[in-house]
This record gives sequence, C-alpha cells and structure tokens, in this order.
Amino acid sequence: MQLPPFDYAVPRNLAEAVDRLAASAGNAAALAGGTDLLVNLKYRLVAPAALVAIRGLPELRGVRDGAGGGLDIGAGELLADLLEHPRIAALGGLHAAIRAVGSQHIRNLGTLGGNLCLPTRCWYTNQSEAWRTARTPCWKTEGLVCHVIPSSTTCRALNSADTAPMLVALGASLVLRGPRGERALPLADFYQDDGVNQHTLQPGELIVRVLVPAVAGRSAFRKLAARTGLDYGYASVAGVAIGPARRPRELRVVAGSVASRPVRLRHAEALVLERGLTPETIEAAAEATRADLGEVTNLFSPPGYKKRVVRGLVAKLLADLATTKERAA
Amino acid sequence: MARRKADLAVVGRDQPRLDGADKLTGRSLFTDDVVLPGMLVGKVVRSPHARARILSIDTSAARALPGVKAVITHAEAAKVVIGINQPLFRSDTVNYIGDEVAAVAAVDEATAARAAALVRVEYEPLPPLPTIDAALADGAPILHAKAEGNLAWQSAEDRGDPDAGFGAAATIREDTYTTHASHNCYAEFHAVVADWSRPERLTVWTPTQTALLYQKSIARSLGLTDGAVRLMTLNTGGGFTGRTSARPHHFVAALLSRQAGRPVKIRASADEEFIVCRAGGEVRYRYRTGVDADGRILAFEADLLFDTGAYVETQMIVTTLTAAYIHTLYKVDATRYRGRLVHTNNIPYYFHHGGGIAQMAFGLGLHMDALARQLGMDPVDFHLKNMVTEGHTSLTGTYFASCGLGECIRRATKQAGWKRKYGRQKPLRGIGLGIGAMASGAKGVFRHDTSAAFIKVMDDGTMTLFVGLPDMGQSSHTAMAIIAAEVLGAEVADITVVSGDTDITPLDVGAFTQRGTFNTGNAVKAAALDARRQLEVTAAAQLDCRRSQLVFRGREVCSQAAPDRRVPLKKIIYDTLHSREGRFVMGRGFYNSPKESGTMAYSFGAQVAEVSIDPDSGVITVERVVVAHDVGRAINPRIVEGQMDGQVFSGMSQVLYEETLLEDGQVLNPSRLDYKMPRSYEMPRVEHIIVESIDPFGPFGAKEVGEGPIVCTVPAIANAVANALGVPVTEMPIAPWKVLRLLGRRGGKGG
Repeated sequence: MQLPPFDYAVPRNLAEAVDRLAASAGNAAALAGGTDLLVNLKYRLVAPAALVAIRGLPELRGVRDGAGGGLDIGAGELLADLLEHPRIAALGGLHAAIRAVGSQHIRNLGTLGGNLCLPTRCWYTNQSEAWRTARTPCWKTEGLVCHVIPSSTTCRALNSADTAPMLVALGASLVLRGPRGERALPLADFYQDDGVNQHTLQPGELIVRVLVPAVAGRSAFRKLAARTGLDYGYASVAGVAIGPARRPRELRVVAGSVASRPVRLRHAEALVLERGLTPETIEAAAEATRADLGEVTNLFSPPGYKKRVVRGLVAKLLADLATTKERAA
Repeated sequence: MARRKADLAVVGRDQPRLDGADKLTGRSLFTDDVVLPGMLVGKVVRSPHARARILSIDTSAARALPGVKAVITHAEAAKVVIGINQPLFRSDTVNYIGDEVAAVAAVDEATAARAAALVRVEYEPLPPLPTIDAALADGAPILHAKAEGNLAWQSAEDRGDPDAGFGAAATIREDTYTTHASHNCYAEFHAVVADWSRPERLTVWTPTQTALLYQKSIARSLGLTDGAVRLMTLNTGGGFTGRTSARPHHFVAALLSRQAGRPVKIRASADEEFIVCRAGGEVRYRYRTGVDADGRILAFEADLLFDTGAYVETQMIVTTLTAAYIHTLYKVDATRYRGRLVHTNNIPYYFHHGGGIAQMAFGLGLHMDALARQLGMDPVDFHLKNMVTEGHTSLTGTYFASCGLGECIRRATKQAGWKRKYGRQKPLRGIGLGIGAMASGAKGVFRHDTSAAFIKVMDDGTMTLFVGLPDMGQSSHTAMAIIAAEVLGAEVADITVVSGDTDITPLDVGAFTQRGTFNTGNAVKAAALDARRQLEVTAAAQLDCRRSQLVFRGREVCSQAAPDRRVPLKKIIYDTLHSREGRFVMGRGFYNSPKESGTMAYSFGAQVAEVSIDPDSGVITVERVVVAHDVGRAINPRIVEGQMDGQVFSGMSQVLYEETLLEDGQVLNPSRLDYKMPRSYEMPRVEHIIVESIDPFGPFGAKEVGEGPIVCTVPAIANAVANALGVPVTEMPIAPWKVLRLLGRRGGKGG
C-alpha cells in the first residue's frame, strides 16, 4: 500500500499552521507523529490535499506548571518523552495510560494531542480500499448503514485512545487554536458519541495544550487487550478518587474502547460515593457498570465480553484507588 | 555405527547461524530487494464478491492508460490451472472475495493500481456459501459441477478390522472438535519478480520452500522445458508448509512479463497476504476410540470435515497426512478414517503448519486425555501403554528404527513435577501433557524424496557447499555446513553455502515435510565423504598409513596409529591439486529413501504445559512448558532449542490466539493488528530436554525438529486448559470469551 500524493507544508509557528489549515478549507490534515494518519492515508480512509506538519511547533511543546498547581502539557509532546517527565511519573494513572499506547516505537513518534484525536476504528472501515469495495458504504464511508449494528442511525466505531479516558477522569481541558482564535474546552465535551464526528474540533483547529488540574487524590488506569502492547484494548478504565481512601469525596471512573467516546461510569461512581470504597462496594460498583454501558458494539470482541472486561477492570481499578498511596502533585 | 558425542568435533556443539549477522544488520536480501532495469509493477484485479457471475470484462480503459504495459485475463492464461480446479483467471463465475479476474503491469505501483481500478468487470452477485453447513444444506447451489453436493474430495480407508476392534472394546469414547481458520503470518510477504522478456528463458525470483516444484509446475503450465525456467531464491522469510507450490501470482507475473517484454514484480499488500497465503480453514473432527479393559487401544476412528474453500489445491494431501498420523503415535490394531473436503465461498485453503497435523493434534490430544481420565488412568500411563516403540511396525507399514517417545514422556513429566501437580492444583490452574511424532521426509508423497549436494574444496582450505535446500529461517545452511565440516575435518567458518539458483544448485525436493536435516543432510554427508576420499589418497601417502586409519579433525589430518603427527588439511588439499594428477577436489552426493513409500525416521516428543486462568477476563496465561524432543541427534543444539522455542510460541498462538475471522466470505481481520498473535511478552518459560535416540539412517543419527515440537505444544496447552477449567474444551482457538462461557460466566455469549 502506498501513500496518495499530497502537498506538504512545514509552518514555522502555530499561527502559520492554523492559517495553512484554514486556507485549505477542511481539505488539509495536521501531521504530528503520523502513526495513525499515514496508515489511514494508505488505506484511503482520508484523502487530504495537503499535510501540514505540526511536529516540533514551539507552541505545542513543553510540560509546564499550570494554574493552581496543575499541569500544562504541550499537545505536540512525544508520548515517550512524557513518560520520562517526573510530574507525569507522579500521576500514576496518566503514566500508565500513556505507557499503554501502542509500542515503544509508536510512543517515540506519537504525540499526546495525536492520541486524543485518534480516529475511531471499526473492522468494516479500517481496511484497504479494495477490501471495502466488497461491501456497501456505511455511515463512515458516506453510506446509510452501520455494518456493526444494522439498526443504528449513527456510526458505532470505537474510540480506543488510551489517554482519553484517563484525562477525562482527571478533569483535563484543552486549549484549542483555530482561525477564530483560542478557546478552552473540557476534554469530556470534546468527544461525542458518533463514530464519524467523534470530536468537536472545528476545521483548521488544533489542540495546543492539555491542561490537567491539580488533583489532591489518587489516579489509576487499567487496560486489557489480546496481547501486551501493540494493540487496542478490549476495554480500558481510568479512575480518580479524591478524599480518604475508604471514603472518597469525589470519584470519576471512565471507560475506553466501549463506544465512540470515553464513557463515564456514573452508576458505579455513585454507588461508591454513597457507600464508600470497601471490598463489598467494589463488587457492587463493578456490577453497576453494566447499566452505564448500555448497548455495546460487536467490534473486535463480543459485546457481552466487553461488558465483562469492564466489570473486571473496574473492580481492579477501584481496588487500586483504595490502596494507592500516591497523591497527584 | 553411530559415533559417540566425544568423537564428534563439530556436530553437537552450539554453532552461531551463518546468516545471523546479516539478518540482524539488515544485509540479507529478499525478493522485494530485486530491482531490475525496466522492471514493471504488476497488480491483480480481484473479485469483490464471494460468489457472482461475470457478465463482462472490459480492459480497454486500463490498456489505454499511459504507463500500462500489459493487461491479461483468462484469454491469455487459459491453460494455467492452480491445484485441481482453479483456473488462473476467472471468466464465468467468481467463487471468493479475491478471486483473480485480470492483471495489469505498469511502470510504477501507482499507475498499476489506477489501471487495475480501470478494469471494468460487470458482475451478477449470487448468494454465497460462507460455511460448511451452508454448502452441505439441501438445495445448496453447486459451486463446481464435478463436486456433487459441494463435496470436493472424499477419502475413506479401513486398516485392520475396526468393526471387530470396536466390538471387542470394553470402553468406547467419542468426541468432536472444531479448529477455525488461521493464517501463517510470514515475516516476508508473498512476492515475485518474473523476467520472461526473452521467450526462451523465464527467470523467477521468489521466496520458496521448494525451488524444484516451483520450477517444474511453472515450466509445465507455461509450456517450457524445466531447464528454461530458472528459479532464484535469495532468502525465504518463513515457510510453514505454505510455500510449497507455485501460486497464482507467480504465473501472473510471468505472463505479464511475457506480454510486456519486461521484468514484472508483484508483491502482496498486507490484506492481500491473507488471500494469497490461504493457510488453513475450518476443520471439524470426530474421534472415536475403543480400548480393552487394560486401557489398550483396539480401534480408532477419525472422521474429518474440511472447509477447503473455493477451490482444491492441497487439502486432499492434508487428508492423507492426517489419516496416517495416529499410526505414528500409538500401536493400534485397527483404524477407520474418513476425510471430506467441502467447497464454500471462502478463500481456497492451503497447507498450514505440519500439513494440518498441528490442527488435528488439538482434538486428538484432548480426546486421548479425556479417554484416559474416563478409564481412571493417568494420561502419562495411558500414553506409555499405547505409544509406538523402537522396532515397531505400524499398520501403515512404517518401521520405527529409532524412537525416544517413552524417554521424552518420562523426562518431561518428571522435570515438570507431573506426579506432584496433576490433579492436585488449585482451581483455574492446569497442567497438560501433549505427545507427538513427525516424519523426516515424505517418500510416497513424492515419487523420489531426493536431495543432492556438491562440495568444492579450495586449496586454501575453504569449501563451497552447493545445496538445493532453501534456508527459510530454520538455519539449515548452518546445519549443512556443520555436517560437511565434521566429515572433512574443517570448521564451520571454512564453508560457504550456496543455494537458491536452479542453474547452479543441485536437485532437492525442498525444505518441507521436515526433510532438510535428514535427506539433504545425508546428501551433504555423502558429498563430503566423496571429497574426503579424494583427499585420502594424498593424506595416506604422506602419513604412511592406510586410508581407513585417517582422522580428519580440527583442520588437520592424522593417522589413528600416530595421532601426534598431524598434517594441516590445507596442505593435503594443496598437495592434491598440485600433484602430478592436478586433482581439483569436488565431492558429490545424493540421498533418496531406499523405501518404496514412507519415511525412514520420525522425531518424537512430549511436552508438559502449565497454565493459569483469570476468572474475570477469561485470559489464559501459559506459565511454563517443558519440552522433551527426540531429534535423533542434535546437529546444532542451540538451533534445536530455538526450534523448540519457536514452535512453543507458535503452538500457543494457535491454541489461544489466532483466528482468521470470516463474515460472508470476507476476512474481517486481515492485518497484524487485528489478527491477534501474541508478542514476546506472552512467551512462557520454556525448558529444553534434547533426547538423542541416534537414528541408524539419519546423518550422524539426526532426525527432524522443524514441526515435531508444535504438534506436542498444541495438545499440551489444550489439555492444560481443560485441566484448569475442569470441563471439556472443544474449539480452537480458545478465546477468552469462550473460557468465560466454559466457566459458565456472563460475558461468554456471542463468541
């Protein structure tokens, strides 16, 4: 498989990059690590006329102290570099989530912003052009059907970005820059449950910074995949607990790889907040995740299995949160 | 007489691979590295329908595209038939997604892809038969006129008197199993460069396990003499029995090259790889065994139903190989076998790992283990009671001149702590035993199972060994150099191995049916002995002794009678060339099993696997595998251990991970991302026990080790999982959701 022809622009700074993306009226793609974009170009899943290289743009680099003791992470930071950063190492859950992305090779090239923008996947669309000619187009390929759930009126492709549920759980927000200037957006609002339009990034807009608020609590991340690394998860779960270990005041638990966006597991959260974090409530909370997940798509593993995996992972995650001593700096 | 290990200078010592440094540093060349002047890129136009009638094919737009140099369809290739019933290109109906309809060659890949898209094919889609059940259903459309009821092939065979055997049996057990479609996952994708720019000469570069069979089938199909076809193999990135006959892309590249008058390269894309490779399809097994009151097997019955896919290429050979397999493991008085191949609209399937025996071993191992338990016997005792032994002649006429199976079973189970652990473990921890056997070579499958070798001895003490055996990663070049070095008293570093060019290298059936070490090894030994005899004349004169007293060892020659007086080997060679005779030393040798049919030697093995299961996720972890294998003699122990490791990994992958997922004839996971194979992180602890039974026919006593271990790994892990779950396991791969289902947990549905 070969790349299609494209124009290639190397802007010197963020303003130029945004201008260049805006000038192409939605027919350009930002190229950071390229670990997903280049594959999708070869598969002809996207066909931008131009690639705008945002690797190394100074505005997208650096890990700085954020407001109120939080973290301000450049969206263009390499995942491998972030793993080496002491403040991220102190955020055990985020470190684990970044570590779960792809393989060492992919983390050497891939960026945090790129992972947050990871396109949703489905085995009816993430295939070569020749493969796709054997099927009628689906919602993602400008058709009017979902091959996964034929009754579905939207695309049900999976969001499998490992860092997304963790950063949602941490209450992270994004600084976006587009033709109309800069705006801030909670990461939870960045995603929507639609495999085609999975996020609300406007044409020409880029993620510039990822802001992680100071969390006076514990974080944890768990993922289960068919193999260790180089794989998307059957499911992943991320959690943040604030307050006494057995009696958290605040709790956020988010699942990944189960829908077109990260899914808050609010039933499970509510149960723990009400009854505390004990072995008995952990079991009950894990069971309660079924109510949060609703209809899960039959992609890459059977839907019943995905629910089962989330249940098992949440039980382990809550146990992590009950025992972890770490306090996010 | 077999020599003792101490008498051997090179054989039996760890030797690094001759090609190790080149492979690690990226210097090794593969077919895709071949770039010739004026070379074109070929692309195949494939059917997007699992089953359809072709209404029209219009190639005019493709031909008109600038840069397109050749376009071919059925009209240009009517004589070429792949396997039994697959025309190279379809003109009437297509039978699977990927079926070849046309092909183009153009100046570059982008132009070839555009041209392929411009070939307009009008189809009338027909309802496909995507499963065995659909194909066998009443009123199902018939895919091939000659295959009534969509049965592509049937074989049935009784040996002994199975009815009497079952009639006399005190206990009869019957089980059914299913193995699903899987893929070979080569390190090197399928690729070919064909240069037929001159009509009298066709040169083909391609990875292969057998240059000979490729050369012959290409020549026959294209109306050339064998000698007019030159088959070139640089390196072969993996074999697994999957590169044993010329495939459609070889003929397509040759015909495109002829039409264009320029060389043509075709390489499979990542998802095309799943269509071109074909690997193994679904197989359903029914096993029935009758035993007497002491647990001795009286009769065995196997009934196998294969999805052979859209066409038949090799699967009828798979039925014969699997039919005979039971006789290589157990002493059985009577057997009944039935094998049926069913046409569906899936990919036409092909050999996969041990010609289907690794798959067969899954259910067979589970069945015998369950039978032993039903009899209240420890599986170890059951196997020891029924296994073949040295000197046994089976119902199929196979004589086992060497057999270390009992030693393998005893040593593997002892080292694993079987007695301490079996039946005494915590829930969800399991231990399992798998035994297996594998032929070294396949006389009878081929009329002659011949290998030949030449050796050229230079007067500086270096040697060049010419063999037709390709090294596809199994390190056979190193093994051949070891054998030659041992005979000639040289070191491995003195020897260069040349292979992969049918203009130069001698005839060899190839590197499959585990025949390399045994057959080609014997040929190399004969060639080296021939060369040594030529040197003995000079050496005996200089050392003043009889030729039979000479010892060639460590780059020196001496007489047994006076071992302190040693002459450098190099000097003997030099003096032979610079004698009055001026003799240039060249050895030649060949080997063909003297039997009419059947191999001379079998490797045997036993493995004990230990697994644990996570009840929340159903994930199985293989923690430890103890491997004992009777390889006759380990020519290169380090590589023998490498073969054990590789096959444990691959066997684990087959049992627990790998499945080609099909929906309406289409592969849903045609990529290394979605076709799940484990990584090195999942590799269990492997302990190696090399058992040396010193086969009387093998070179220095050696037998195969290229497929023997995996046929033990598969049942060992399957039995360990069944042992951990405490319920029967019937399907491979054992995906985690199937484990939950077997545990009766929620989340197991829908698999």
